[in-house]
Amino acid sequence: MKAFFILVFVLLSTSSYATEQAEQLFNQLKPSLYQIKLIDKASGEKSSIGSGFQISSNGIIATNYHVISSFALHPKKYRIEYLDSQGNKGNLSLQSVDVINDLALVRRDVKQDMPFFQLSQAAPHKGEQLFSLGNPHDLGMIVVPGTYNGLKKESFNERIHFTGSINSGMSGGPVVNKEAEVVGVNVATSGNSIGFLVPHDKLVSLYQAFQKAPPESIEQQMAQQLTANQDKLMTEILNSPWQNKLLGKQGSIPIIDVPFIRCWGDSNADKADALILTAVANCSLDENTYLSSRFFTGSMEIEFRTMQAKEIGANKFYHLYQQQISRARAGNRAGKDNVTEYQCHHDLVMPDNQAINNKSIFCTRAYKKFPDLFDVLYLSASIDRDKEALVSHFTISGINQANALAFTRKFMEAVSWK
Amino acid sequence: MEIENMAIESLDIDEVATEIIIEEVSKGHKLLHRHKLTKKQIHIGRDYHNDIILSDPHICPSHACLTFVNGQWQITDHQTVNGTFVENPKQKKQDANQHIVQDGDIISLGKSQLRILFSDHKVAPTVAFSPFESFIDLMRHPVALFLSLTLFTFIAGGIFYLNKPIEVNFSQLLVPAIGMALGFALWPAAVSLVSHLTKHDARIMAQLGVCFAFFNFMWLSDVLESITSFNSASNSVLPLFALLISVALAFSLFWLNAYIGFHMTAKRRIIIAASITTLLFGGSYVVSYSNKPEFNPRPQYDATIMMPSFLIASSSSVDEFIEDTSKLFEQANKKALEK
Repeated sequence: MKAFFILVFVLLSTSSYATEQAEQLFNQLKPSLYQIKLIDKASGEKSSIGSGFQISSNGIIATNYHVISSFALHPKKYRIEYLDSQGNKGNLSLQSVDVINDLALVRRDVKQDMPFFQLSQAAPHKGEQLFSLGNPHDLGMIVVPGTYNGLKKESFNERIHFTGSINSGMSGGPVVNKEAEVVGVNVATSGNSIGFLVPHDKLVSLYQAFQKAPPESIEQQMAQQLTANQDKLMTEILNSPWQNKLLGKQGSIPIIDVPFIRCWGDSNADKADALILTAVANCSLDENTYLSSRFFTGSMEIEFRTMQAKEIGANKFYHLYQQQISRARAGNRAGKDNVTEYQCHHDLVMPDNQAINNKSIFCTRAYKKFPDLFDVLYLSASIDRDKEALVSHFTISGINQANALAFTRKFMEAVSWK
Repeated sequence: MEIENMAIESLDIDEVATEIIIEEVSKGHKLLHRHKLTKKQIHIGRDYHNDIILSDPHICPSHACLTFVNGQWQITDHQTVNGTFVENPKQKKQDANQHIVQDGDIISLGKSQLRILFSDHKVAPTVAFSPFESFIDLMRHPVALFLSLTLFTFIAGGIFYLNKPIEVNFSQLLVPAIGMALGFALWPAAVSLVSHLTKHDARIMAQLGVCFAFFNFMWLSDVLESITSFNSASNSVLPLFALLISVALAFSLFWLNAYIGFHMTAKRRIIIAASITTLLFGGSYVVSYSNKPEFNPRPQYDATIMMPSFLIASSSSVDEFIEDTSKLFEQANKKALEK
């Protein structure tokens, strides 16, 4: 009983201590926190909101790229406005972006040196208490305590896993440690107090690069970042081991052994009345790059499917099989303003090992604003067995021609019958 | 002697020329009734004293008469309410009173029309039976018709079976197959109806027989089309030939429909068959074009696959495929630069 009292007392004291600390931090940091609004010039109303924080005495403010993405793509339609803790408003100019890590730097005009956030020198340690700041749903600036839980597992572009409620509108707000140093930037949530932050070192390198040489054009900078990122991703994928795995009874498929590509499987073995026994394996890159609300890129999906006829003839099997492969769609969302329509080519293809004969389809569409980047789609259906089929399919978005062709070649040679 | 001769000759002319053919024709110059008369004076009008009785209310009871004078036929209009006119390709209407009739003249009175011909009027040469006649005769035979109908229903049922992803029994296939056969029978039925309405022979059996024979040919051309698109790469022209076959089949069917159902010149028949074919293929193209969204986010590709026994072509290597696909990137880049 005594022990219980002590425990409750300890809990109470730590939580009240945390509240006190949060309050103190908030008051200390308030002057350098901003709400960032994108104002539609024609209607004069805000079209999106987020948070931001000042990181230099001369008015550089950090926020998320996705908060100001509409401005980055359509600078004539919008303007960026800030609202500080005293209710002052003013215009911001876009200075630099990092689309891969969802960061942006904007600048406000300042007459004298202003207080600003210190960026941390080191990463936090697991379990460390952090404080996320921001303006959720336009309700006013708040502070949310939470816990640092290391980097998100299996991600290609690093994200901090933060246990604490991050809500929309807090995007771009800073996350600080007890010393009021920035360790991350709010970026996403997957509900139930699971939040994701951009690690502070990404912001540090963006700011340092900006200080050295500000980008000439934001669009060019984005194109360079997208190209470099797909190069980095595809180099890693093409150079990592591809393990052969059995799918169904006879299909041999490649599983790319990198932590950021995760696979799931399913089959209809439980359905007694199905005419075709199907087994599916899906692998995908669990992240993508936000360019605008209607344009995502950097995603990758791979799907394998084996089918085996149960009590039907080859002719019927192939009719049903054709229905399965006739409706492939793009792996990412993109519209008329951003991409061309797909161009497709199909042919009968047999790899040199002659282990399979396929009808293969390859489609690609080009990005209109970012030169030499494409979305590609590949679909291959085996046509050499009467009552058995192996379908291999992938989509990759935001990839250049050389990488797309290198991946396609390796992929085509890796799929076969056992 | 000479005078006598002349008299005989003129007598001959008299006898030949008094034979006159008067045809009642429609506005489109289609024959409605034909009269052959040997009188020297012919009365035309609405009352029952006339030689040619026309029930048109715009014609006077005693409207006009044709009189044989001096070896020539002359029209006299009896000062009628609506008049009598000669149809003339140059001038639209010419008063027919005192008009000397030429062979083939068309006289309009009221809303009716009469064509006047002399017995020495030239007729068109005899039309020989075309080789199609024997094909049509074969197809309209009840046994042949039954066979092609059964084959059609059987194929339709087979296609339903092949595309159903669940197990189906025979009667579940029979109902849509028969429904489809009935649906396709509407076309020959409609053609027969139109030819019946335009005062031609309906010839429903011939229309049905020929149509279903061609529908079966079209199934065959569908299979051919599938085989070619399955066996060829996207840069091949073979599927285009397969498409041409189905266009040719459709044209032939419409041509035969016109041949069976209507009397018309060969040129006209070709024009009609060609226009229906254009309407069918062009129309379906226009419909699909008008439904096409401004931007299609989905790839459009040919996914035709068939069982391995239909595989004739040899496969390309991965290298060849990669080389072909690299051209797509250039095309896509060009499209990106367009706007």
